[in-house]
Amino acid sequence: MAQSSPLDIVLKGSSGQSTRGLLRIIILLTIAAAAVASRLFSVIRFESIIHEFDPWFNFRATKYLVQNGFYSFWDWFDDRTWHPLGRVTGGTLYPGLMVTSGVIYHILRFLTIPVDIRNVCVLLAPGFSGLTALAMYLLTCEMSTSPSAGLLAAAFMGIAPGYISRSVAGSYDNEAIAIFLLVFTFFLWIKAVKNGSIMWGALTALFYGYMVSAWGGYVFITNLIPLHVFVLLCMGRYSSRVYISYTTWYALGTLGSMQIPFVGFLPIRNSDHMSALGVFGLIQLVAFAEFVRGFLPGKQFQKLLTAMVLLTFGLGFGGLVLLSVSGIIAPWSGRFYSLWDTGYAKIHIPIIASVSEHQPTAWPAFFFDLNFLIWLFPAGVFMCFQKLKDEHVFVIIYAVLASYFAGVMVRLMLTLTPIVCVAAALALSSILDSFLTMGRPDPEALANAGAEDSKTLRSTSKPVVGIYSFFSKLTVSASVTVYLLLFVSHCTWVTSNAYSSPSVVLASRLPDGSQHIIDDYREAYYWLRQNTPDNAKIMSWWDYGYQIGGMADRPTLVDNNTWNNTHIATVGKAMSSREEVSYPILRQHDVDYVLVVFGGLLGYSGDDLNKFLWMVRIAEGIWPDEVKERDFFTSRGEYRVDDEATPTMRNSLMYKMSYYNYQSLFPAGQAVDRVRGSRVPAESPQLNTLEEAFTSENWIIRIFKVKDLDNFGRDHSNAVSFDKGLKRKRAAKKKGPRVLRTE
Amino acid sequence: MRFFTATVLGLLAPSLAAATNATTPFRVALPSDFKPAQVFQNTNVVRNTNLEKSYARETVNLVVENIDKKPQSDYYVPFPADVFERVGGFEVRDKKAPQQGRFEVTVTEPVASSETQYFIVHFPEPLAPKSQLTLGISYSLLSSLSPLPATINQNEKQYLSYRFSAYVPSAYQTLTQKTKLKLPTTDVPEYTTTQGLKSGADPERKGATYTYGPYDTAKVAPGTELPVFVRYEYTHPVITVNLLERDLEVSHWGGNLATEERYWLRNNASQLTNQFSRVEWTFASYQKAPTCAVRELTYPLLPGSVDAYFIDDIGNVSTSRYRPGTAKTGANLEFKPRYPIFGGWNYSFKLGWNNNLSSFLRKTANADSYVLKVPFIQGPKMAEGVQYEHVVLRVVLPEGAHNVRYEILEGTTSNGLPGQNQINATFSSLKTYMDTLGRTTLTLEVDSVTDEARDSQLIVTYDHTLMDALRKPLTIFGGLLAVFFGIWSVGNLDVSIKKR
Repeated sequence: MAQSSPLDIVLKGSSGQSTRGLLRIIILLTIAAAAVASRLFSVIRFESIIHEFDPWFNFRATKYLVQNGFYSFWDWFDDRTWHPLGRVTGGTLYPGLMVTSGVIYHILRFLTIPVDIRNVCVLLAPGFSGLTALAMYLLTCEMSTSPSAGLLAAAFMGIAPGYISRSVAGSYDNEAIAIFLLVFTFFLWIKAVKNGSIMWGALTALFYGYMVSAWGGYVFITNLIPLHVFVLLCMGRYSSRVYISYTTWYALGTLGSMQIPFVGFLPIRNSDHMSALGVFGLIQLVAFAEFVRGFLPGKQFQKLLTAMVLLTFGLGFGGLVLLSVSGIIAPWSGRFYSLWDTGYAKIHIPIIASVSEHQPTAWPAFFFDLNFLIWLFPAGVFMCFQKLKDEHVFVIIYAVLASYFAGVMVRLMLTLTPIVCVAAALALSSILDSFLTMGRPDPEALANAGAEDSKTLRSTSKPVVGIYSFFSKLTVSASVTVYLLLFVSHCTWVTSNAYSSPSVVLASRLPDGSQHIIDDYREAYYWLRQNTPDNAKIMSWWDYGYQIGGMADRPTLVDNNTWNNTHIATVGKAMSSREEVSYPILRQHDVDYVLVVFGGLLGYSGDDLNKFLWMVRIAEGIWPDEVKERDFFTSRGEYRVDDEATPTMRNSLMYKMSYYNYQSLFPAGQAVDRVRGSRVPAESPQLNTLEEAFTSENWIIRIFKVKDLDNFGRDHSNAVSFDKGLKRKRAAKKKGPRVLRTE
Repeated sequence: MRFFTATVLGLLAPSLAAATNATTPFRVALPSDFKPAQVFQNTNVVRNTNLEKSYARETVNLVVENIDKKPQSDYYVPFPADVFERVGGFEVRDKKAPQQGRFEVTVTEPVASSETQYFIVHFPEPLAPKSQLTLGISYSLLSSLSPLPATINQNEKQYLSYRFSAYVPSAYQTLTQKTKLKLPTTDVPEYTTTQGLKSGADPERKGATYTYGPYDTAKVAPGTELPVFVRYEYTHPVITVNLLERDLEVSHWGGNLATEERYWLRNNASQLTNQFSRVEWTFASYQKAPTCAVRELTYPLLPGSVDAYFIDDIGNVSTSRYRPGTAKTGANLEFKPRYPIFGGWNYSFKLGWNNNLSSFLRKTANADSYVLKVPFIQGPKMAEGVQYEHVVLRVVLPEGAHNVRYEILEGTTSNGLPGQNQINATFSSLKTYMDTLGRTTLTLEVDSVTDEARDSQLIVTYDHTLMDALRKPLTIFGGLLAVFFGIWSVGNLDVSIKKR
């Protein structure tokens, strides 16, 4: 034994404790720094820019908050979205994210550091992921006595792609802070259950309230904690610790959550929240029963208990049914149903199904997002079964629920990641603890033990050859190291390639290897911002609503909030109908410009023609007689845009806008659509009621201006053919045999 | 924490010397029926009007004679009130001795009866009776060229029109005068011809130069107009910057001069009759056809400029190219707006870069005094010229700089800026990057400038002591100390409810 090693002086004893403490802090800070750094790919590669779609709304709301103060943000009625309806934005959003970055901004301003609110927003998610790693350390340390488990979990959480996917720099979305709050709330909850302390329970409620203000996914906590308590009760593990922490959390947390206008009275009216209320009632009964048990003899108590259980169950169930039927308790929401039946949304709510992140998860995604953690995960859960203290029950429940949800919806991979990190860290740390420590069992003690039962297998009679041998230690620790290295390189690769594209800006390579940036979105948005009247209404498919609001600063008809399905269907109808049908819709909604995304020139596949069927389906949901999905397919059931496209397709506004004048870029008859890989009809579609106002450099964004009514009172098709010098069409003259005029 | 240290260090700080030469432009009010006294006579006037850029640049050379009995020193130059605000960089020199510098010029309010405004030129020495003086007046007229027709198709040629009076507007009797008009092309579909005012054709054409006159105007009353109209081809953009904000930030600690410019730009060329067509634009740019849209701007930067950026309200504009250049040649920033800027379209953006401070700042013999020499405006260098309607220059000096003075360097030729009394100068304080007192900021505002002023230099002198330089490190030190002490004392509090 290397007793005299100089390292032992600093690693053992009381000075050793503080050294280890310091080391742990340094390691944690390094992990946090690595978590932040690995999320900065897009800032380094592109610029400090807000990504995707939803973050643009959050960014716009944050700017509003910073400029106008908290109270006007709270009362914000936004008349620049959902024209002409507007949106009560202050009451229909989760303000936690905006308020957090507003507070950070004001603190920095107070210190007179001239930081731009955009940079606060861009870097908020990486900053909070550093905090998530720390919270993860705390949570895992509650699960295991091994000091390495917490550090491993923190490191996993820091760089796991499943979490990075929603928290790269610029991904300024609710999840950016919500995952930190989720993990930290769970840590506080475990702490509360362990200690039975009102303080920890109240802290749990506080952070739960913060979580409610930040993300709709708070419902997960609202249901998971009651479930944990319920399972504990069923396991006969009722204790005053559980009672104190749960009642404290429920009472304070529910009050806290009701302060958010968007949540309001949902905690007592919505079915999603009923389990928390039910468990709250149950735990009172159990506590009462425990109390009564001390005073009554066994037999009477049994009778009383049975009667009470039946009575409360009957009353509770009856009340629930009554309230549900009378409508006081809201029925389950559509998104909730689609959690249980993956086919539900596709049939009933096309708008939910049209969002790619609501699709069921493909199996490879688990490995892609979690790498080797996914096979360590079951091992970790198994180890929780072995110990099965209160906190391990929590891990098991969380693991089961989150695994199911992650399988149902891609975006819920996010809630699975923390528990996978905990479980994997538990498993890996126990492997490392067994194999990395250099200690061997005392040979004498072994010899004594061996003497006691010398009839065992021969291999165990020489225990130093087994797992204590240098070879086995080396093999295991080397392979674990290799796995860890592979994990790091996988995470880096995934982050760099899959999750770091702002999607507002597209990157491509020039022949000389230098980076070329395709910036069509911002080109067109900035054109709108600079060269159209301040209140010009822009109609586009809802995907681009937030971006137009954020970058072009113009009112839009629909946006990513998707609260009004009918309004979205109206836009879908305008896009998928003939001009004669669409023009009145455009006029009625004061539309000045129509914006479409067209990827045909560049081969950009996320364009509007590829999303077109969703527009048709959503419109068909409201006007089944006027818009029919079948009409957009050829008789052989193909979705075509070339010469064989159906007349409905070719006359739809979307088709016309996409291909308008596209043919003149090519030699006659050679126009090709590179996304759909088909030749486009030689003749450009004719637009009568719209005129091309702007097309971006690579044709990705096309903006059309809605013509005013004709000055001479003609309809637009007549006016256009007059301008072209064509003869006016006579009203459908039937070419029959000539007849003698009689009158 | 900040207030705490601010008060402590505020006691140590020397009282900031107040602004030293802040000026606000003032205008002489004139009686409503004012007419300049007829004490001068212009013996000969030659006006050169240059229309090669997108604004009119005029130089007027005139021989002035005092016909009064007393020595006179105030010469009035009239402009119609609506043109007056667009006169940029008005400057008068003695033509025979331009090295003596510009004459002092004051500005008047409009005269109600005649809608005229005057520049009053003050001669350095009064002009004796019967003696003559040759004046060289130069100025530019912003937004004086208007496209005709006002709307064109995307690939059509653009024609600009210019209206002026062939008789040079003057408050005094003029004996002979002529106007030379320099046009950018020979494609001139319309121009006014006059009859019977002089022998031979009027105007005389020589290539792209049109000469109106010489006219004998001894009998023509001052203020008489002879309207002339020219329309000529000019298929180039008319680049107008509505507002330029230019910040220069001096950092002694970093040894850095940071420049940031914010432009609100507009193209005043012919607007499009129809909407913009990308197809036509693609073909036209492929053929490099002339266009009145702004395709690209080039911005020469001083040698040693680094870290250039080009952004607008929604982020980095990826279409810029920065050519660093060598130490001698200077860098070049070629930047393309996000979209071609056609007539009537706007574009606002930001540019910025850093320079090594040592090539701009010098310490004087007096130990704590500094001299800063920086360009007044730089701006893109375009063949068609750039006109600025309003320029705000902000020089942010280090925290604690006091006794600040500024001066605009005058050379032997025009620097394109108006006289110093037409520049609005204010001093203020700017708090940034953990300042306690704020940085002394000199703000200079000037209206109607053209890119003629690209070479003008601004000199700022100020005092800055060692104590001023150490204020910030001490502040931060004090602040952190306060934070640590606060945490320590909070940590020592016992708030437990247990019995002890």
